[in-house]
Amino acid sequence: MSTRPLHAVASLTDDLRAWLPAQRWFAAKGRELSSVRVERATLLSGGDPALLHAVIEVDDGERYQLLIGVRDELTDQLHASFIGKLGESFAYEATQDPELMAVLLDLLAHGSDEGGLRWEREPGVEVVTGLRARPVGVEQSNTSVVFGYHYIFKLFRRPVPGKNRDVELHRALFRAGSKQVAEPVAVVEDGGEGAVLGFAQRYFADAVEGWAMATASVRDLLAEGDLHAGEVGGDFAAEAGRLGTAVAQVHADLAAQLGAETVGADRIGGAVDQMHGRLDAVLAEVPALAEHEPMLRAAFDAVRGLAEGVEVQHVHGDLHLGQVLRTTTGWVLIDFEGEPASRPDERLLMRSPLRDVAGMLRSFDYAALHLLAGDDADTQADHQRLTRAAEWADRNRSAFCAGYAAVGVGDPRAQTVLLRAFELDKAVYEVAYEHRNRPDWVGIPLAAIRRAG
Amino acid sequence: MTVQDSTAPDAALGLAGIPHTGEAVTADGHLTEPQAEDFNHARSAPPDPQWYKNAVFYEVLVRAFNDSDGNGTGDLRGLADKLDYLQWLGVDCLWLPPFYASPLRDGGYDISDFRAVLPEFGTVDDFSYLLDQAHKRGIRVITDLVLNHTSDAHPWFQESRQHPDGPYGDYYVWSDTDDRYPDARIIFVDTETSNWTYDPVRGQFYWHRFFSHQPDLNYENPEVQEAMLDVLRFWLDIGIDGFRLDAVPYLFEEEGTNCENLPRTHEFLKRCRKVVDDEYPGRVLLAEANQWPADVVQYFGDPSIGGDECHMAFHFPLMPRIFMAARRESRFPISEILAQTPSIPSGAQWGIFLRNHDELTLEMVTDEERDYMYAEYAKDPRMKANIGIRRRLAPLIDNDRNQQELFTALLLSLPGSPVLYYGDEIGMGDNIWLGDRDAVRTPMQWSPDRNAGFSRCDPGRLYLPAIADPVYGFQAVNVESQMNNTSSLLHWTRRMLQVRSEHQAFGLGDFTELGSSNPSVLAYLRRHGDDVVLCVNNLSRFPQPVELHLSDHDGCVPVELTGGVRFPAIGELPYLLTLPGHGFYWFQITAHLEEGEPL
Repeated sequence: MSTRPLHAVASLTDDLRAWLPAQRWFAAKGRELSSVRVERATLLSGGDPALLHAVIEVDDGERYQLLIGVRDELTDQLHASFIGKLGESFAYEATQDPELMAVLLDLLAHGSDEGGLRWEREPGVEVVTGLRARPVGVEQSNTSVVFGYHYIFKLFRRPVPGKNRDVELHRALFRAGSKQVAEPVAVVEDGGEGAVLGFAQRYFADAVEGWAMATASVRDLLAEGDLHAGEVGGDFAAEAGRLGTAVAQVHADLAAQLGAETVGADRIGGAVDQMHGRLDAVLAEVPALAEHEPMLRAAFDAVRGLAEGVEVQHVHGDLHLGQVLRTTTGWVLIDFEGEPASRPDERLLMRSPLRDVAGMLRSFDYAALHLLAGDDADTQADHQRLTRAAEWADRNRSAFCAGYAAVGVGDPRAQTVLLRAFELDKAVYEVAYEHRNRPDWVGIPLAAIRRAG
Repeated sequence: MTVQDSTAPDAALGLAGIPHTGEAVTADGHLTEPQAEDFNHARSAPPDPQWYKNAVFYEVLVRAFNDSDGNGTGDLRGLADKLDYLQWLGVDCLWLPPFYASPLRDGGYDISDFRAVLPEFGTVDDFSYLLDQAHKRGIRVITDLVLNHTSDAHPWFQESRQHPDGPYGDYYVWSDTDDRYPDARIIFVDTETSNWTYDPVRGQFYWHRFFSHQPDLNYENPEVQEAMLDVLRFWLDIGIDGFRLDAVPYLFEEEGTNCENLPRTHEFLKRCRKVVDDEYPGRVLLAEANQWPADVVQYFGDPSIGGDECHMAFHFPLMPRIFMAARRESRFPISEILAQTPSIPSGAQWGIFLRNHDELTLEMVTDEERDYMYAEYAKDPRMKANIGIRRRLAPLIDNDRNQQELFTALLLSLPGSPVLYYGDEIGMGDNIWLGDRDAVRTPMQWSPDRNAGFSRCDPGRLYLPAIADPVYGFQAVNVESQMNNTSSLLHWTRRMLQVRSEHQAFGLGDFTELGSSNPSVLAYLRRHGDDVVLCVNNLSRFPQPVELHLSDHDGCVPVELTGGVRFPAIGELPYLLTLPGHGFYWFQITAHLEEGEPL
């Protein structure tokens, strides 16, 4: 292969044009790409296999980072990761190659500042090397690799200059001694613009996603003939309560570390206008929502009347049951990148912690009803199942709030106006998402909106 | 022969004609005690210094197992007659709750003579015979020993109260007032109001951490320490393989403390261990301390020398969590407690159990969890006892064969030496209408014959009625019928014990929990040298898939242990398994073999 990395990657651009649109993390999936420009490339490790780091820009101006492996011969297992030929060698997606990921772990462990990339351990952290690497299965916008039972490394596919919210909030919480986050281990930064390219954290090998925990409980409930949610063996309320406590603790720690403030009518008015704006867009797309428009607008406008203002602080920003892990020592929150749909600068704003609460409450609703997507409330049997699922949702939403309140940062149920507006705003967003992606599921947020009416 | 005088130290024993403590008194006031030389000694068990780490224990109540003389109560000779059955089943060590002379006001834990056997169970020579026959079959025997106290009928106590200035005057903790050690809690709050009771004979108060008829021995007195070490030697000389030391945290008292786990208590346990190591290598001490594992580990002693107190200790909180995990269909109750369990010295081993002669204890769970357990497993208030549930394994899990197998598989594969409870191997039931904890102490069900084949006596004479209900009664559930049916729970249990005995990883191996994204599946590796066993358990009643990250064993082949079936080789990708509801797998992870190669 060429010893000039930039040239090597540049010679792959045609292959990348074909390859990129098929990647999960690629924003413009499935679209024809007219150009790929290599912004920079660095050789991280020579020999066979070799490891290259590259940042590319595609025709819509989006920038992506790539880890490219180069081998003289491709193993069976790496065939699916093939990008293109590089002379007689094969270039491929390197995160799928345990051998090259071991190189990456060495860089994280020992640190390096070459070719414009800075690899640095967090203060006081020792990194164990020689661990077997494996890629994490399904991910939306980034790519993660797990090392042994120890670390998880997240490659931010679309690096953004400036401070990285995920890293900063994790550091703040770790400084506060939080037990609800994974310890930061090491960071890879772009030496020039200061963008964070990768972030290694402690990995919870024994953890299970909150979504899997909650849906196991729902499944247990629906398999019973007619027991109430509190009567079945798989009752989730105790876990939901502990989860609420963990979330409140994270909010309290973030406020203590990074501050909180009360915003007045201006900011509130702006936020309410945004809710109306989102609703306008969805109404145009989903006619079924029209009958609820007056109720929704009234719920949003009620927030304008909050004379005492609204407390804002740094929050998780995209909290749902898929962003929390049950570990053997309790609940942990992950991925503090913020709302994926917002612009990076918007994500850095302080927001009401009730946004997180609303996100989690909506998630309980989803967990309760996901098995019943497509059920018809008009038939007797389905009506019974829907009623019992709704009972599960109510029980666990309430337990979550009670657990949250137990920390002493306030009971979400006492702020009905704000919480209701946030939940409905979220549900409106969900209606649009489901309408586009999973029409069978659109009934879940619609039913929630109907119940709120 | 002299007429028994009510102030004689052995008057309360009821052991006339049987060798016992206090048969005679020497000129200087010492009681004559039976010596080991006076009795037969059992042959030795096959030497194996680490036997307790690989052993499957079987708790058997002498009273409940087999009645050899037709008086309605099981006895030592009766138990000896059933050793062939226990050998066939594959157990390695019997644990017998106390069989000493006792007024039986606390299930035999109120010992009135450490050197005599309760007459209805037999004699010291009968015990020696049982031990000899057990050792002949490669089975070891341990029993309970209460170090902390005696019965008030013990001749030592009788001497102590009558002769404060005699050689036994300082054997117990006496005081003119009842206000010393105020920080020590009262353990049996239901029956006792103070740890002090006034003795009108001596005119002083005596100290007792448990019932007022169980005065605590005074370990400040070096003679008491020596006397108790001699009790250990007495049974070890006869050939016993070890002791479960009952209520160990309470031996010493000290003002300003809660009188539990004091340093001098540990010093005395180290002395006990030294006697075993120096004089009786290969015998074991098992601590009964119903505390959190993090607190219990101190009873293993100094980890830098592999432990110098007890060889074993029970892991109490694991058991209720196995039940909770299955009910919640979540591995976390088990994962959590194992993650909180500290490592133990190299010479130590946990004892783990699903059920035993006491109720299912719920002291080691939170209040919320206890409420949950009561709601799930003790639907009738009579199923509760103290802080626990008085039920056997089978009725606790609705007689569900799949769950019985899953629970037993967990017991046999989690870290620690498993302790089976007599009768659970055939799925015996309980009788919650019997008093106290007797619900789970009914006669062993041998056959559909009269009295379940346990005794030839008149049914009305049985110490407790045999279970006779249509589901669990001895007509339906008994050893004989299950012996004749190879698909029975009994045969299944035996096969699992055989499989376990073929893999040292179960007893000696380390433990690594394998995470997975499915919360209902508990998977772990047990590893000892080259012996690597993978255990995968589905805690849900529904079939479940699980993807395990086994790429450390890339290229190896999992071989299922009960049938020897080879599963697909492990690769770089997550290893997919599907499990039926409450299903489990045990695999040996073997280096890759070509199809058809012998294993």
